[in-house]
Amino acid sequence: MTPFVAHRPGTLEQAVSLLSENEDAKLLAGGHSLIPVMKQGLATPSALVDLDLIAELKGISLTPKGVRIAAMTRHAQVAASDMVSGAIPALAALAGRIGDPHVRHRGTLGGSVATNDPNADYPAAVLALDAIVETTARTIAAQDYFCGMYTTALEPDEIIVGIEFPRPDWACYEKACHPASGFAMVGVFVARFGGEVRVSITGAGVDGVFRHAGLETALVAEFSPESIDDVEIDADDMASDFHASQAYRANLVKVLTRRCVARCLSETPRD
Amino acid sequence: MNCEFTVNGKIIAAEVSSTLLLADFLRDSAKLTGTHIGCDTSQCGCCVVHVDGRSMKSCATFAWQVNGANIVTIEGLADGEELHPMQAAFRKCHALQCGYCTPGMIMTAVDMVNRLGQVSEPEVIREQLEGNICRCTGYHNIVRAIQVGAAAMHGVEITAPEHETGKGQPA
Amino acid sequence: MGAGKVARIGESVLRKEDHRLVTGHGAYTADHNLPGQAHAKIVRAATAHARIASIDVDAALELPGVLAVLTGADLIADGLQPLLHDHNLLGDLASQREAPDVYVENIDGTPSRIPPHHLLAIDRVRYVGEPVAIVIAETVETARQAVDLVYVEYDDLPCVVRALDALEDDAPQLWDMAPGNISIRAQLGDPDRTEAAFASAAHVVRLETVVQRISGVPMEPRAALGDYDPETGKHTVYACCSGVIRHKRELTQIFQVKPEQARMIAKDVGGSFGTRNAFYSEFGLVTWAAKRLGRPVKWVGDRSECFLSDYQGRDLSVSAELALDADGRFLALRGVNTSNIGAYAVSHWPMRKGAGLMTNVYAVPTAHFIAQAVFTNTVPTAPVRSAGRPEAMFVIERLVDLAADQLGIDRIELRRRNLIAPADMPYANPLGLTYDNGEYESCMDWALRLSEWDGFPARKAEAASRGRLRGIGLANYVEITTGPPIERADITVGEDGIIEVAIGTVASGQGHETSFGQLISDWLNVPLDAIRHVAGDTDRVVEGGGSVSGRSMRFAGVVIGKAVEGLVVKCRTVVGAMFAVPAEEIEFSDGKFFAAGSDQRFTIFDVAREMRVRNDLPVALRGPLQESYREHFRTGGYPYGTQVCEVEINPEDGEITLVRVAAVDDVGRAVNPMIVDGQTHGGAAMGYGQALMEQIYYDPDSGQPLTGSFMDYAMPHAHDMPFFDTAISEVPSPTNPLGIRAGGEGGTTPALAVAVNAIVDALSHYGIKHLEMPVTASKVWDAIQQAKQPAHVGASA
Repeated sequence: MTPFVAHRPGTLEQAVSLLSENEDAKLLAGGHSLIPVMKQGLATPSALVDLDLIAELKGISLTPKGVRIAAMTRHAQVAASDMVSGAIPALAALAGRIGDPHVRHRGTLGGSVATNDPNADYPAAVLALDAIVETTARTIAAQDYFCGMYTTALEPDEIIVGIEFPRPDWACYEKACHPASGFAMVGVFVARFGGEVRVSITGAGVDGVFRHAGLETALVAEFSPESIDDVEIDADDMASDFHASQAYRANLVKVLTRRCVARCLSETPRD
Repeated sequence: MNCEFTVNGKIIAAEVSSTLLLADFLRDSAKLTGTHIGCDTSQCGCCVVHVDGRSMKSCATFAWQVNGANIVTIEGLADGEELHPMQAAFRKCHALQCGYCTPGMIMTAVDMVNRLGQVSEPEVIREQLEGNICRCTGYHNIVRAIQVGAAAMHGVEITAPEHETGKGQPA
Repeated sequence: MGAGKVARIGESVLRKEDHRLVTGHGAYTADHNLPGQAHAKIVRAATAHARIASIDVDAALELPGVLAVLTGADLIADGLQPLLHDHNLLGDLASQREAPDVYVENIDGTPSRIPPHHLLAIDRVRYVGEPVAIVIAETVETARQAVDLVYVEYDDLPCVVRALDALEDDAPQLWDMAPGNISIRAQLGDPDRTEAAFASAAHVVRLETVVQRISGVPMEPRAALGDYDPETGKHTVYACCSGVIRHKRELTQIFQVKPEQARMIAKDVGGSFGTRNAFYSEFGLVTWAAKRLGRPVKWVGDRSECFLSDYQGRDLSVSAELALDADGRFLALRGVNTSNIGAYAVSHWPMRKGAGLMTNVYAVPTAHFIAQAVFTNTVPTAPVRSAGRPEAMFVIERLVDLAADQLGIDRIELRRRNLIAPADMPYANPLGLTYDNGEYESCMDWALRLSEWDGFPARKAEAASRGRLRGIGLANYVEITTGPPIERADITVGEDGIIEVAIGTVASGQGHETSFGQLISDWLNVPLDAIRHVAGDTDRVVEGGGSVSGRSMRFAGVVIGKAVEGLVVKCRTVVGAMFAVPAEEIEFSDGKFFAAGSDQRFTIFDVAREMRVRNDLPVALRGPLQESYREHFRTGGYPYGTQVCEVEINPEDGEITLVRVAAVDDVGRAVNPMIVDGQTHGGAAMGYGQALMEQIYYDPDSGQPLTGSFMDYAMPHAHDMPFFDTAISEVPSPTNPLGIRAGGEGGTTPALAVAVNAIVDALSHYGIKHLEMPVTASKVWDAIQQAKQPAHVGASA
């Protein structure tokens, strides 16, 4: 691994100035995305700015709109949080299935959303719940945040401080795991806000997480598994590898959407 | 960077480079070679240790990241000559063959029980082993061992199905 | 730990080795360190086929902390010789023809093409990952950085990665000495008789399939620590290998030194599954580097490096046909088996063993197979768990299921009609192998009971109510276990109450310390803890063949047994001399030697002490109590069995769930049933891994491997496997006193066929007849969609 200087700032201010001073510096959150990549020599930052000692980046709180999760909150903490389970159970459930137990002890919300791995789970939740990404500089709406795989609207010296997830009337996340990596080969997050239905898809697309207008329109017209039967998922937009064809991924998008919808219908709707 | 760790109850002060992974620190500096490295994509779980009471992949963590932490490795589980109930369960249930994945597997199992209590549902145990790969055992005996070990950690003895096999001549 | 307890053969004794392994005190190769050691990393070819135009090491050498960079040119200048590999260890022609395995040679009578395989590429690279140079530095980190500073200029050549493509006229040629990329093209059986049988057959069933390439992936990555003593000229290597004697031989050959100048050490080994049988380049490179640098050199492979350089498994393209009469009796079997052996001829064993077993446990009057091994620009292949047999069983058992479907005969009934009967044993199969004995039908019936085969329709209906397609599959198998034919045990009885047994096998998870100890414990009536197992060090072990091909227990049972017999004779003679009676009048009972009428009882340790202290014994009976026994084995072992599995498929997404596995394996005699079961579990998991998810994949255009880590190479996890219902059958083999066949590979051998048979059964509703492995959810779903197309007539993938 290329040598680097490790910084452990105690405040956000210090962290931001470290980033501004050094173009080549990277943020370190849980490390379970970044460190493997550094081990392979695919990332060679000259400095790492560790966020683990910054108090402001910890904590979960309820807000009038929903729940706010600070950036350095571990997946296991989100999964175990009564606040999150009470407000958005689908979000707690999603966090509880990221990776494996060891990853969940270290991986963070901020790290995942900042990385925007095309097979990660959190981006689907952020997009479908229309969450607000709060940074050291501003707030960014979900629809403006994701800009393609591994690419976000974040400036080089901008740090995610927390994410506020609006509380939906109902939500669900279903995924099919890649047989080798364990990541989401396809993940679908469905959320209902009153008459609105938002469907976001991770894993399947070649350009990272996206919403599917066709699925949303069909589900708004009628919220039932059958209503999406005629929706076309363009296989050409799908990723493919020797584990799964494009057509297969396109099929999974619909299958997983149906499962989410069926789950909603079998559960007590929220008021 | 100057760091201090508590490893298996002993305080170790060490000067560590920024690139030193916790796994390498444990194996090379602390001379605790029980923690193993089985892959380079942080998927196999051979390197799992406990940091401040929770399981962690030591191959995906820099040593300095856990400065000041309380670290327990496989060498720290037994109480002198007396095996930890989970270690004893692994032996009783023949849950290891080559032994290479075993330290990480046992540390994972102990963490599982710490979090979930006296875990017994095979589906739950199997899901909780998502981050651990074994090539020798087919997981059958590992799941059994975790059931037995989880019970033992709660003072309950489950009869270990030592080997569930019919034997002899075909009837 | 049961200190003081005698262990019996047939008992599921808990393992002695476990205490150190569960407490983190195993001694795997990377755990070893020598004072002053330097660290090595390997520069590997990044291109599949190229001439090496130049290697520039200057930049690497300039990096502070780099001690040396050695290339193929240095290797040749230092006179290092190529690796021997399996071909050069087969023995002379006479012993090859005598050996129990089928004999193979080129049909045209010319020698097999075995290109020289040096530790480093000399002027050409032939696969991505081939070692090109070794960098040695003060730290691992520095060595890694230096690897990136070694600039190799390649003149790229066209490449070929698939065996059948390599046989095409216009295929790139890897070796001038191997025209057509053929290493060997042999045939077994009777072509004319087989042709005649096919010509008159009522039915012919065909299968074209590729049993895909996999990697054994033991959890311990390959590693080696090399040393050199300039005073004695002795090369020492610590490495994870499955046998030390053969590896020592390779060392003496590479460095052209005398036997006493080579030492191979393997303590705890983290799995092998055949991947550790061969001598790898790095094992020789580290001791060579140690010689040149005057310091020990340590190399530890990364997992991604192992995916590029562990010898891989299987990769057999088969085109086969089964001929049947109107009643479903097998008349003949024929085909062509093309083994992709990669860039070098490391081993022909998988091809050879598989070809001899194509007819399985069925009475087939005649057969003919072409078995060929072909070079491609890929990692060399070598034995991996049941080398060649899972491939063979896959072909025949799929053909039988296809035949049952084609003829409209029940799958079990069709098998039953054709099983070799016990009365016909020993049975000479039409491809050149003679099975010693076996009760195949009873075994199959046992598996049918164990798996509750008859209850399947109800389970299928229940699954259907949940929207799942449930299928059941069965496969019979027979194996041949051979391996290097010489084994030796040296047993020394100490006065201190310890019996030491030194043997030439090397365990990598099979539990030899315990199971071999059980033999001695039982026979001599001494506590299991009194036995010390010595293996894995050529300074302690004189001769032997390692742990490959399921040979260990079968051979150990004999040589340890004979050595123990010799010890007992010796003790009787000593006690007889002490009491002035003939040795035959000394009793040995309950672990004690005594003269009739005397109260005095002597344990074997007592006798050892008497032999040391007494001056009144004849000279020949004084000194340490020890016995050696060496055997050259000339028979094979023939484990057999039947496995059944049930799968459930979700037609929505093609997801396959393995819901039940039942296995009956006849191992002849299970010394430790718990250990045998463990082997079956793990072996089955490996088989299902191949059937459902594993594949080493090379891009056919660039020759680049695309499965270089666990991110792309799918491995079975705990949630992929069910519990296994196992049963051990013990029809004794006539080839050794204990009746042992072998027990390590039976879990894998039928599993590929069982899985696909069950999946096809589940999908029979759609008229799907066959699917190629790995059978992924995506493949299943694609096949279902195809089957649903109008005007669809059956499907095969």
